[in-house]
Amino acid sequence: MNFHDLFVEPFTFEFMRRGLLSAVLLSLSGGLLGCILVLRRLALMGDALSHSLLPGVALAYAFFGPSTLALFVGALLAGLLTATGSALLSRLTRVKEDAAFGSLFIIFFALGVAVVSTLRSRIDLMHFLFGNILGVSGTDLQLAGLVSATTLAVFVVFYRPILLETFDPIFLRATGGRGGLVHIGILCLTVLNLIAALQAMGIVLSLGLFLLPAVTAYLWCDRLSRMLLLSVLLALAGSVLGILASYHLGLASGASIVLSLGVFFLFSAAFSPRYGFGALVLQKLRAGKGVLHDAGQP
Amino acid sequence: MTVRYGARLALDDLSTSIPCGTSTAIVGPNGAGKSTLLRAILGWHSIENGGDIRIGDAHAHHQLPRLAYLPQRHAVDWDFPITVRAVVAQGRYPALLPWQRFRASDHAAIDRALDELGIVDLADRQIRMLSGGQQQRVFLARALAQGADIFLLDEPFTGLDLFATEELTHILRSWVAQGRTVLAAVHDLPLARAHFTHALLLNTRLVAAGPIATVLTEANINTAFRGGRCVHDNPLRRVSTTQFPE
Repeated sequence: MNFHDLFVEPFTFEFMRRGLLSAVLLSLSGGLLGCILVLRRLALMGDALSHSLLPGVALAYAFFGPSTLALFVGALLAGLLTATGSALLSRLTRVKEDAAFGSLFIIFFALGVAVVSTLRSRIDLMHFLFGNILGVSGTDLQLAGLVSATTLAVFVVFYRPILLETFDPIFLRATGGRGGLVHIGILCLTVLNLIAALQAMGIVLSLGLFLLPAVTAYLWCDRLSRMLLLSVLLALAGSVLGILASYHLGLASGASIVLSLGVFFLFSAAFSPRYGFGALVLQKLRAGKGVLHDAGQP
Repeated sequence: MTVRYGARLALDDLSTSIPCGTSTAIVGPNGAGKSTLLRAILGWHSIENGGDIRIGDAHAHHQLPRLAYLPQRHAVDWDFPITVRAVVAQGRYPALLPWQRFRASDHAAIDRALDELGIVDLADRQIRMLSGGQQQRVFLARALAQGADIFLLDEPFTGLDLFATEELTHILRSWVAQGRTVLAAVHDLPLARAHFTHALLLNTRLVAAGPIATVLTEANINTAFRGGRCVHDNPLRRVSTTQFPE
């Protein structure tokens, strides 16, 4: 098998080019957004949010068929409903924010699965949950391009407020910044990106494209600007590798992208020179101490 | 002013005036509203019935551009991928539009702030790679770069060792000598007595305010610490700041 067979031949197919383009567009924005989610410790919340999109998508599909616009609106409504619903629950009842989010998203997810189960075939459920790169349409690509460009533009223009809201929200508000607006903006961008990634990656896996490059970059960088850049590059590399692997090995595209990114992450967790556990082990061995005994102590 | 967290009253009908060019320690038992007062001055909490907190001759609300706030140590994510210089540079953000480039004067302000606090050599370090005292100075430098001359510090001595505490009190004293105003939440009464000119004694409501010696009397302290729901064994005993996190 030569270079042509490995890297060129797959992209002679229209659907592969579309899949690649969609993954590249979403890597650009998802890599950035993932960093903010990781640094703000919203990784699990993003995961919950992505699951809660399912009923919106399923209902839209049941009524309007595979129309990108309908899926988009349905998912957006479901996402907003979960976010505002859990905010209200935590404020009006004794239930704390994480539990409110956790409960609401699982209800939404179950509702989505219930709706999908009334649809004609099981294929639909698989498609929603895990994506299908064959299904990326021209409209999906336009949506991905629009979302990606919007996210990039927001990050370029509002880099400083986003940095402050992530690092020191009290300082941002104390100096007259609109912290609440930044926070809501980040959540909206997350929902938009999740929706745009739906076709190729599916509901369950799309967040992997955002989070994994970000945590990997977090293990290597000491400056936010470099972390953002590395995260985007890793997302791009993972997407290309994953799509190639899915073609040659016959794997589901979303899964193989997430797995490629997973390899990057696990490698970094082991071998990052400053923040990996390999570095910790070396340091402890040199100091002549047990590793597990006091791992985690600063 | 009055501030509530849900049904709980955090600050009850508080009005006071803080003289310029002094250092004021906000003291009181845990839950007395020390941090709440600082954040309320910054407009972080929604305030009922307006209230009247004056700093110098103006209402605190009108002093916002002159105010700088230092977060509690544990409120900062020290693993954040950011360098000392980048934190200090944040002090210039409020003066610029979000997308506006730094001007020469902004860079100069950052350099001056780094220099005044003696952390020029540390400028490219990630903030975890510093001692507690150095970390404190990074945020003091950010406040200076902001061009502020009224400094609100939330428990600045918590978690500092003896040497760093001394260093910080030295910096704060020299700032007051230069005419700057310092307002700090402090839970260590002997420390407040030794290094601050004025005090504000709280227990959700204002117990006493004024020059330190007239505020921290036995009677006032008894009222603040034993009168409310917070009971301490002996508030005057010297407690190590490291063992007594808020």
